[in-house]
Amino acid sequence: MTRYILQRLALLPLLMVIYSFVIFAIIQAPPGDFLTAYVATLSSSGSSISAEQIAALRSQYGLDQPFIVQYFLWLKHLFHGDFGLSLEYQRPNAELIGEQLGLTIALALFSFVLTWVIAVPAGIYSATHPRSWADHALTVINYVGVATPNFMLALILMWVAFAYFDISVTGLYSPEYVDAPWSLAKFWDLLAHIWLPALVLGIAGTARLSRIMRANLLDELNKPYVVTARAKGMREWQLVLRYPVRLALNPLVSTIGWYLPLLFSGSLIVATVMNLPNIGPLLLRALVNQDMYLAGGILLIYSFLTIVGTLLSDVALALIDPRIRVEK
Amino acid sequence: MALAAGAAVLTAPEVALAQGAKYKEAPALADQVKGGKLPPVEARLPEKPLVVPVAEKVGDYGGVWRRAFLGPADANNYVRVVYDALFRFSPDGAKIEPKIAESAEPSADYKTWTIKLRKGAKWSDGQPFTANDILFWYKDVLLNKELTPTLPGWIRNADGTPAKVEKVDDQTVRFTYAAPATLFLTAVANQDGADRTFAMFLPAHYLKKFHPAYADKAEIDKMAHAAGFKAWTELFANKNAPPENPERPTMAAWAPTSRASDPVFTLRRNPYYVGVDKDGNQLPYIDEVRFTYFADAQALNLQAIAGNFDMQERHVNMTNYPVLKEQEKSAKKYRVITWPTFGGADAVIAINQTYTADPVMGKVMANVDFRKALSLAINRDQIKESVFLGLGEPRQGVPAPWHPYYPGDEWAKKYTEFKRDEANKLLDGIGLDKKDANGIRLLPNGKPATIEISVVPAFGAWPDVALLVSKDWDAVGIKTIVQIRERALHFTMRDNNELMAEIWNEDTSAFPYTGNAKVDPRNTPILTMGPLWLRWYATGGKEGAEPPPAMKRIVEIVDKARTAPPDEQVKLSQELYRIWAENLFEIGTIGLTPMVQGVVVATNKFQNVPKTLGNDWPLRSPGNARTEQFYFAK
Repeated sequence: MTRYILQRLALLPLLMVIYSFVIFAIIQAPPGDFLTAYVATLSSSGSSISAEQIAALRSQYGLDQPFIVQYFLWLKHLFHGDFGLSLEYQRPNAELIGEQLGLTIALALFSFVLTWVIAVPAGIYSATHPRSWADHALTVINYVGVATPNFMLALILMWVAFAYFDISVTGLYSPEYVDAPWSLAKFWDLLAHIWLPALVLGIAGTARLSRIMRANLLDELNKPYVVTARAKGMREWQLVLRYPVRLALNPLVSTIGWYLPLLFSGSLIVATVMNLPNIGPLLLRALVNQDMYLAGGILLIYSFLTIVGTLLSDVALALIDPRIRVEK
Repeated sequence: MALAAGAAVLTAPEVALAQGAKYKEAPALADQVKGGKLPPVEARLPEKPLVVPVAEKVGDYGGVWRRAFLGPADANNYVRVVYDALFRFSPDGAKIEPKIAESAEPSADYKTWTIKLRKGAKWSDGQPFTANDILFWYKDVLLNKELTPTLPGWIRNADGTPAKVEKVDDQTVRFTYAAPATLFLTAVANQDGADRTFAMFLPAHYLKKFHPAYADKAEIDKMAHAAGFKAWTELFANKNAPPENPERPTMAAWAPTSRASDPVFTLRRNPYYVGVDKDGNQLPYIDEVRFTYFADAQALNLQAIAGNFDMQERHVNMTNYPVLKEQEKSAKKYRVITWPTFGGADAVIAINQTYTADPVMGKVMANVDFRKALSLAINRDQIKESVFLGLGEPRQGVPAPWHPYYPGDEWAKKYTEFKRDEANKLLDGIGLDKKDANGIRLLPNGKPATIEISVVPAFGAWPDVALLVSKDWDAVGIKTIVQIRERALHFTMRDNNELMAEIWNEDTSAFPYTGNAKVDPRNTPILTMGPLWLRWYATGGKEGAEPPPAMKRIVEIVDKARTAPPDEQVKLSQELYRIWAENLFEIGTIGLTPMVQGVVVATNKFQNVPKTLGNDWPLRSPGNARTEQFYFAK
């Protein structure tokens, strides 16, 4: 097991270098560069900039150099742990990403926990009470949950909140707390706002998870060992939770690692629509504005998390399921 | 009416300080004065302060102006609110008035300009603002090749040398040009550090710390490196930009206390601001301006509809106008004001007249009769009603009727009537009289005449304009394809001469000789009317395509008008716009709508917002509404 983990970890640097090249190439692929996008932004807000000024900025930012030179300069800095400077913000990328990291993780964990806390019990209930009215109701909710894009849901909820309750649900804080220092009051304010985006983000996942849970558990419940245990007089809820539920959880656990990158990227559109201050809108803007070092930095972190996440899934699965451990 | 924009007319303030008025200040500042933290208001104001006329009433002190912005790339949002310049455009955009500076005086031949500063004016940190701050900009920033690789046009003589700038005394600076500089004030009214440039007056006492002519180069390099910059010039630019560096002193009514890259970009009142109202109350009235960051303009619009901004016009989408009007009536939280664009047209179709990818079609597109036919084929009333919500009027991209450069109704309305028969006749007349089975006209080489309009949804409704136009053009036998493109791709294709036609707005008609006017084919980025003309001018006629005589005449006028005395400048400009409309270098549709940052939402308490305003980028609207006199009614 240790050997296996070490092998996988040894591959990491190589993969990261390959990813860095792919990322840089993809970011550079659209026509134009940061300044083209900047000029476009200015023109589409009614301003303009002179050709001389653009030329001066282009050479200042090094955008007039060939692709490969720009790439190696970037790589060189990355090796020194330097994510470079954001062209748009004129501030170090590491600082910008760092600022958003805390809230991004908080929001993601919140929605992750919410997803599991709702999905697993719902799945178990559906499986143990198949074709009851509650099961049917849950099924309908689940299908709607899976089928509705979450940004759509966000828009609908925002409109309902505004039109019928006259409250605004964008952002994670009330206006007076946005730039206030951390305090208990600000924390409460955050809690009062975070549940809605967390729910919106989690709803598709919840629906999917509880469907998988239901299907898996239904399969297990008909197996002979369950019948045997029941025949031996084991109490029903104890039986279900101790044996079939653990088995039914396996496929879910194997996907837990995927949550690591999803923690960051999954919320991109929802966060933009709901104006949440997390990494999603930062990445979207960086891509649209071709702020390539910032976008590159964020995407590299995503790649890293995906690799680590997959590894963690494999490890978690081995831990929860003795059969997999034995095979190894 | 006084002579507008282009001309060198400077008006004295419309109001004077009331006789014997004593200066008053905001309560928060009075407390600081009592606490000994701040000198008294008389000592903070210059000897002769700027007296700012109020739009409606003398206001009350206090309040936080809630506003929204789209992040650091939207720094111009700040630039327009503070409009931090020596001189500024008046609310109607017709005059230029002193702001930070006291006066400007041209010599009889307009070759020399003398700017007088206000004696006793101070930066937001209390340091004196003098001629040295302009000389520092001139000697150490403008003439420093590393900071300014190419001289901006307004300070350059025809031979490429910089105009001479000298200090006469601590409050007086003289500018000397080789040729008459009649547009000097128009340019100076825009030297406010917008678009990542350097303003023409800089806090020398602060910035010298970051300039190698005054500080140790090794030390500066160390600072630059620590901040992640490659060169000292980047550090200098960063330290000089108020939205990126709250430490930098400013002359504006509000000074930043956080950065534009923070979630909330906050400005607080500058206790040393040079302006007062007629009763002697030091301005601004409002304590604080808070720009809340929005990643997406749609989310911003939803908040605007909900009435969560005290005054916002920027990024408010005109397509939301009906919803806003409805909320205005039902929720009664705010009022909606519209400021139409400052002339031109809000959707023009520029047809590439140097298109080479398809030489046969390219030749047709270069034919002025073809463009006349296309213009006559457009049903503009339909566009006005369905896209522009009935606002504005059909017109070509010429200045507004209230502007001295206005060529007259005949030219503003030239070829804007809907005359399909005449369009068909014109098209028949240029050899496109054969049609295929679908009714599409055939080119001389037998191929169907096809044109593609590239559209960037920059101001929301342009794709709709394109669709309506395409139907009208199909109806006269020109197959029209509407292609909606991502803006960077569109801009790159435009530069590479790959666009056939595009929709954009004509927003520079009031300023044909300064900035990036679209009438001048030598400017980049321009409309796609003739990318190869740009090449032709840039290479002295060696490459590219030679422009037609009409276009050459426009260029001639631009060069001549730049140094012509005001009266002649007006005559030349009117001629320019007659040529512009007659040749349809761009085909105008609807203009004078509030499309560009012109739908204003102001809460009921937010006062002194003018009901009409010259709305344009060079006017820095809403900055020319004199934002320092906005106030919250108690």
